Amino acid sequence: MISQALRQKLERCVDDRPDDGIFRIHRDIYTDPEIFELEMKLIFERSWSFLCLESQVPNACDFFSTYIGRVPVIVSRGEDMKIRVFLNTCRHKGAKLVIQEQGRRKYFPCPYHGWSYDTMGRNFTIKAEASGQYHDAFKAADHDLIQIARVETYKGLVFGCLTQDVPSLEDYLGDLRFFVDLYMEQSPSGMEFIPGRAVYTYRGNWKLQMDNGMDYYHLTSTHSSFLDIQAKRRDGKGNQAARQFDWAKRETQRGGTFLFQYGHALNWLSQPEAEKRPIWPVIEEIRARLGDLRAEWMLHLKNCIIFPNMQIADATSLLIRTFRPLSVDETEMRVYCMAPIGESPERRAWRIRQFEDFFNPSGFATPDDTVVYEDCQAGYQSGGTFHPGFEYGQGCERGRTIFQTSPSDLARQLGIHPTGSVEGGFELQQEMCFLSPYREWRRLMCEGLAQEEQQ
Amino acid sequence: MIPEELKRTAIDLVYLEAVLLDERRWTDWLALYDPNCEFWMPMWRTEEELNQDPDTGLSHIYYSSRAGLEDRIARIRSRKSPASSPLPRTTHIIGTPLLEEGSPEHCVVRTSWSCHVVFPRRRDPHAFFGSSKYHLRRVDDGWRIFRKHIKLVNDYIPTMLDVYCV
Repeated sequence: MISQALRQKLERCVDDRPDDGIFRIHRDIYTDPEIFELEMKLIFERSWSFLCLESQVPNACDFFSTYIGRVPVIVSRGEDMKIRVFLNTCRHKGAKLVIQEQGRRKYFPCPYHGWSYDTMGRNFTIKAEASGQYHDAFKAADHDLIQIARVETYKGLVFGCLTQDVPSLEDYLGDLRFFVDLYMEQSPSGMEFIPGRAVYTYRGNWKLQMDNGMDYYHLTSTHSSFLDIQAKRRDGKGNQAARQFDWAKRETQRGGTFLFQYGHALNWLSQPEAEKRPIWPVIEEIRARLGDLRAEWMLHLKNCIIFPNMQIADATSLLIRTFRPLSVDETEMRVYCMAPIGESPERRAWRIRQFEDFFNPSGFATPDDTVVYEDCQAGYQSGGTFHPGFEYGQGCERGRTIFQTSPSDLARQLGIHPTGSVEGGFELQQEMCFLSPYREWRRLMCEGLAQEEQQ
Repeated sequence: MIPEELKRTAIDLVYLEAVLLDERRWTDWLALYDPNCEFWMPMWRTEEELNQDPDTGLSHIYYSSRAGLEDRIARIRSRKSPASSPLPRTTHIIGTPLLEEGSPEHCVVRTSWSCHVVFPRRRDPHAFFGSSKYHLRRVDDGWRIFRKHIKLVNDYIPTMLDVYCV
């Protein structure tokens, strides 16, 4: 029996009244352990999650281990070359079968009692089964690894879902695919992760990272020390090796956001320094392969959220970021630098320097973001209703009066059908992008709870 | 053979670097480095293997000159970086340095280290630890670092990592 109080709590988390120009997020959404438990069940178990690149498991018997929400999974390319995803847990006593993040194995033996599974997930050994005096009921049971309900790939990105009832991955991504293609088609040979990845944790809710990855408004305040360094580099001082962008130029550019179904959104900003993009030396190849429009948009800055666990930022270098909720106030990040397969050594080194400079947890920008999430968490943590309106943040207001739900000229030009959009100068630094993930959050949580009530 | 006096000053430099970082004497710290120094802390490639080439694998920090370190100090000093304000407090513990190669003009010193850090927001302490290999070059008034290669053993990072944490 689900309490009326819980339903009301969820409904008030996202106060969405478009006709009144109001969109507010309740601070409980970041701090309430009961809400967090429901998110794991109603969002992470029931949505597509990004798992890995196909190029991380290119050969038969390659595996990659990761999580969907809190559930450990193995992505395995079987001896038949098919990609399957299993729960990373032995059928016997539950031990994780794979500890390494990545590798190649012909079979997965459990380190505990030696039950073994092949790359297709089939159990082929129950150690000392013949002498085990097992009951027929045990012999009749299925001992294979549990395959997750859905696995699909799009342009080299592997996604999985723990439950059956989701749209196809193509439908899930919808017209965001126009932009996903721009990330994933930067080389005719596909995309890969550069060896090494940053893993770090922060003491804050997972949605604080989700928000920040789409937030342009914070750039000139949180990252003012980075912008100062950029200004110095512009004058030929400081570290030139990163060939970093001059943000003073970007602040004169046009940009905006497109909202899509299922919680996705994409922010863009036009590109005043195309020559600083590591794909610039091969832009003619890209133009010839994909046309002028796509080549131009490939050079633009584009940050997207693929709800609920993934961000792609093609801003300074090209990164994929996943976030794994550990608890209501702790999150693990994995950040990868993605690059075209077959890139020249010179472009590769340049890309790496750009990535490290900005995105590393030891870089010049990401640490300043991450500590601010902890400040937000600490600020939200107090709860309370002692001041009217205190419980709601005011963080989704910028761009409200020019937000449009009818197709914009730009959307028509790109041939996409976003559910909303905003376009303006950089100084707009819109916050309308947050409508999309939080509306999807509310839909999944409230509809999911209603389904639970019926069961 | 390296004269005892030169050997002692080379080893002292390693201890001195730790003191300068813990005491936030940034100008003095930068002066330990040659302007053309390499500063390299690679990421791990797998659970058991470090990246071996900064141009084909990611690093936590890679600079091919001191300018990168100077940028870091400018950011710390600006007081505009939230991650650097308030500045985390550190204490470096340096294992006995080993002089691996030595001549009057060039020497290689290895050491293990741990750095205890208190991040003001998290309050509880964290220890980064690893080992470092210094390539030192003789200059008029002593030694300068022209290459420092840091192996960070625990690179599961709580929130952030900066140059004074290693």
